[in-house]
Amino acid sequence: MTLYEKIIAIYPQLNKEDFSPKGNIDLRNDGEGDYIAKWEHPTLARPTQEQLA
Amino acid sequence: MASIISAGTSAGTAIAISGDTTGNLAFQTQAGANTITVPNATGNVMVSGNMPIFRAIANATQTVSINSTTKATCFGTVQWDTASCWSVANNRYTPNVAGYYQITAAMQWGTGWAIGSDIVYIYIVKNGTYSSSSTATMTSDKYVATQYPSSSVGGLMYCNGTTDYIEVYLEAGGASGTRTTYVDNRYDYFSIAMIRTA
Repeated sequence: MTLYEKIIAIYPQLNKEDFSPKGNIDLRNDGEGDYIAKWEHPTLARPTQEQLA
Repeated sequence: MASIISAGTSAGTAIAISGDTTGNLAFQTQAGANTITVPNATGNVMVSGNMPIFRAIANATQTVSINSTTKATCFGTVQWDTASCWSVANNRYTPNVAGYYQITAAMQWGTGWAIGSDIVYIYIVKNGTYSSSSTATMTSDKYVATQYPSSSVGGLMYCNGTTDYIEVYLEAGGASGTRTTYVDNRYDYFSIAMIRTA
């Protein structure tokens, strides 16, 4: 399961428009795996490592 | 008879040639013809040796997670790197001359997209920050599922010649899973050319 899919499983109300450098959430991969580079959603809290595990 | 004027062999003995009081200074490579006028401005003369050029093309596919901007690591065939500024380990270009650079990049993707909703992105990233981007939305009037979508991006950027570095990032916008690029050197490239010094 990708990081995006894990986050969507936690917050089904999110959609892919939220995930981009212009959106509230930016997932990145610099070569070492996906990670949350930016989480600026106005109402939803950034998922914890435990939630994403 | 040819003449050569040489500076001294110690520091501080460089040759200085001054123009007239209006700033006129010119050379003629052939007597009475082919006049080269030196601009009345401060700056460095640019020649091929101090104007870095770089171009690489993809030599392998790259698979990325949906909706995660991912550094392009597939530009494995370097065609030109005149100043040895490309880092294979970091997949980044760090120009060694301060100035303005024209940067272009493009990537083609494999098939298997959701027509009408999926999007491909490509970004030029300077020092880890998104600087230029381009997208291509696979609308049904332009794409069918068996086509290979692509996007390209260009930008003019300043680099300080020491620490500034340029990378390309890719993204595939979709519902789930991963997407994979497609190797076609007509569509997959990353090039940088110095335009002028600082």
